Amino acid sequence: MARTANAVDFWRGFALITIFIDHIPGLFYASYTLINFSISDAADLFVFLAGWSLRLMAQGRGEPKPIGQVMLRLFGRALQIYAAQILITMLAIALLAVTAIELDNPLLLQWHNADAVFNDPVPTLIGLALLTHQLGYFDILPLYVVLMLMAPFFALIDRVAKPLLLPVSFTLYVFVLAFRLTLPTWPVAGTWFFNPLAWQFIFVLGFALADGENGVGAFARKHIGILRLIGVPIVIAGILIARLDLWPDPTGVPSPKLFFLADKTFNTPVRIIQFLSLVAVFSAAWPYLTRAAKRPLLRAPFRGLIELLSMLGRHSLYVFCVGSLLSLSAQVVRLVYHGSFASDTLVVSVGIFVMALTAWFAEARSRGRPGSAASLSPERSSPQA
Amino acid sequence: MSKSCQPGAAALADETALPNIATALAKRRTLKILAMGAAPGRLRPHRGDYTNVIETMLERALNGTDVLIVNRGVSGELAAGAAIRMRNEVALEEPDLVLWQVGTNDALAYVPVDEFASVLSEQIAWLKSHHVDVVLVGLQFTRRMTRDEHYVAIREKLRVIAAQENVPVVRFYEAMQLINSAAHDTLPAADEFERNEEGYNCLAQYIARAIAIGVFGEAMRPPKPTGDTGAPATVPVPAAK
Repeated sequence: MARTANAVDFWRGFALITIFIDHIPGLFYASYTLINFSISDAADLFVFLAGWSLRLMAQGRGEPKPIGQVMLRLFGRALQIYAAQILITMLAIALLAVTAIELDNPLLLQWHNADAVFNDPVPTLIGLALLTHQLGYFDILPLYVVLMLMAPFFALIDRVAKPLLLPVSFTLYVFVLAFRLTLPTWPVAGTWFFNPLAWQFIFVLGFALADGENGVGAFARKHIGILRLIGVPIVIAGILIARLDLWPDPTGVPSPKLFFLADKTFNTPVRIIQFLSLVAVFSAAWPYLTRAAKRPLLRAPFRGLIELLSMLGRHSLYVFCVGSLLSLSAQVVRLVYHGSFASDTLVVSVGIFVMALTAWFAEARSRGRPGSAASLSPERSSPQA
Repeated sequence: MSKSCQPGAAALADETALPNIATALAKRRTLKILAMGAAPGRLRPHRGDYTNVIETMLERALNGTDVLIVNRGVSGELAAGAAIRMRNEVALEEPDLVLWQVGTNDALAYVPVDEFASVLSEQIAWLKSHHVDVVLVGLQFTRRMTRDEHYVAIREKLRVIAAQENVPVVRFYEAMQLINSAAHDTLPAADEFERNEEGYNCLAQYIARAIAIGVFGEAMRPPKPTGDTGAPATVPVPAAK
C-alpha cells in the first residue's frame, strides 16, 4: 500500500513536472513555470524537499534508528542515485546518436555537451564516471549524489551536536561564496552548473526545518504567521523582478559579489531568501487543497491533482530519470515538428502521462514485493530522500 | 591560418574594432576572455579543448600578452538564459571580452526570431555600456539545416544585428559552407562529422584572427596561405600599440 498523499510528495511532484517542462527550451509552456515568476525555481524546491525527506529518513517515526544504520542507508542511496545518473546519461547519449543517424544530422552529436563523448571518448568516459562531465540538463543528479554523500555527516552532526548543524552548513556556504569555491568539470574545462558546496545549504535548511520539535523548524512553526507576513512582499517582489526584468545591475553590487547576486550555480542568498519566503507563503496552500478535494464540485479535479502529483513525488528518482529522458526526447520532437502550440501541448501531455505511468508502475512493483503492504515500516511510509 | 581553413576566411568578420581590449592592452599585458556557449570548450581528439588553441594563438599574435579564457558555457542554453547569466559572470570575472557562441540552440528550439533579436541587441548594448567588447560566434553548420527556414532566419538575424551594433561575428556556418565546398572540389568526400572537426579547428583560428583584427584594425594584414600542416600558423601582427 502506498503512503497517503502528503504535502512533501505533492510539492515534489510539482517540482518534477516543472523541471520536465523547464528542460525543454523554447516550449510554449516553459514560459509559465515557476522560474518565470520567481527568483528561485523548481531545482531549489527539489533539493529543499530532498533535505526535508532526509529528516524523515534519518529520524523515522518512533524510536530513531541507530546512526550507523542511517549513515549506511544514506551512502546506499547516494550509490543508487549515481547508478541512475550513469544509466540516464548513457541512454541520452544513445538517443542523440540514434537521432543524428536517423535525421542525418550530425549537429545532434554536438548537442548538450555530448560532442566530447563522440569526439574524445577516452577522457570523457572517465569524466562521465567521475561525474565531472555532465550533459546539458542532466546536471541535477550529480548534485544530488554529492549531497547524499554529505548527508550521512549532516545526519551524524544532527544526532550528536544538533545545534551545530546549521552553523556548520552556513559556515561552509559563506566560505564558498566568499572565495568562489566550486567543483571543476573535466575533460572540458569549466565548473559544475550546480555547485554542491553551495547547494548543500538549502539541502540542510530543508533537513533542519523538517524538525518540528527543535531549532529553526520549531521556531518556524511557532511563528509561521509572522513569517508569511514577511514572505508575502518578498514573493511579490520576486514576481515583479522576474516578470518586469528588474534585476539590479550585477556589476554595481559590493564585493564579495556573490552575496548580493542572484546566481543559480552558487544558489546565492537572494535566491534562498526568496525561496524560503515562497515556502512560508505556499505552505498555507496544502490544507486548502485537501479541503477543496472534499467539496462535491471540486472533488474530482483537486483530488486528481493531489493524487497525481503525490504519486509522482513518492517515486521521485524513477520519475526524475524518465522525465529527463522525456525532456530530451521532446527536444528532438520539437526539432522535427518545429514546435507549435499543438505539438507542445501534445509533448507535455504525453510527458506527464509517461511520468505518471512510471510512478504507477513503481507503485505496482512495490505492492508486489513480499510484505510491502502489511509490514510497511514507519520509515517506508515517509517520503524518501 | 592553416590552408584548409583559408577558403572559409572569405565569410569571416569584417574588420570591426574592439576598442576596450585595445585600451586594456595599452595598460597591461593581460587579456581575459569570458567564453559563453559551447564551441570554445569543445574538445579536440586527444588534445584538450579549443580554448587552449585560441589562447596560444592570441598570445602569439598579441606579442606575449597573457591570455586567459574562462569557459562558462552551458550546453543547450538559450540566448535569453545565457544573457542573464552572462551579466553575473561579467560582474564576477571582469573580462575584457566576451566570446559568445549564440543562435544554434535558439534555432533548434524554434525561439521566435524577433525574440532572439531583442535579447541579442539588448545584451550587446549592455556589454558596450559596461566597456566589455564582444565577439559573436554564429551558428554551427550541418548540411541538413541549410533547408531549415528558421535556422537560416536566425543566422541571418545574427548577421544583421552584428552589423547594426558594429560588433564582430565569426560566421561559422558560412565559413563551413565554403570549406565544405572547397573540400568537395579537391578532396574525396569526407564524413560530415570529420568535416565538423576540421571546422572547429578552423573556428579557433577564425576567432583568434577576429580578435587580433579587432585589436590592431587595419594594421592587421590578412594571413598569407601557408602549407597545410594542420597546425595553426602564427598570425603576423605588429607590436601592441
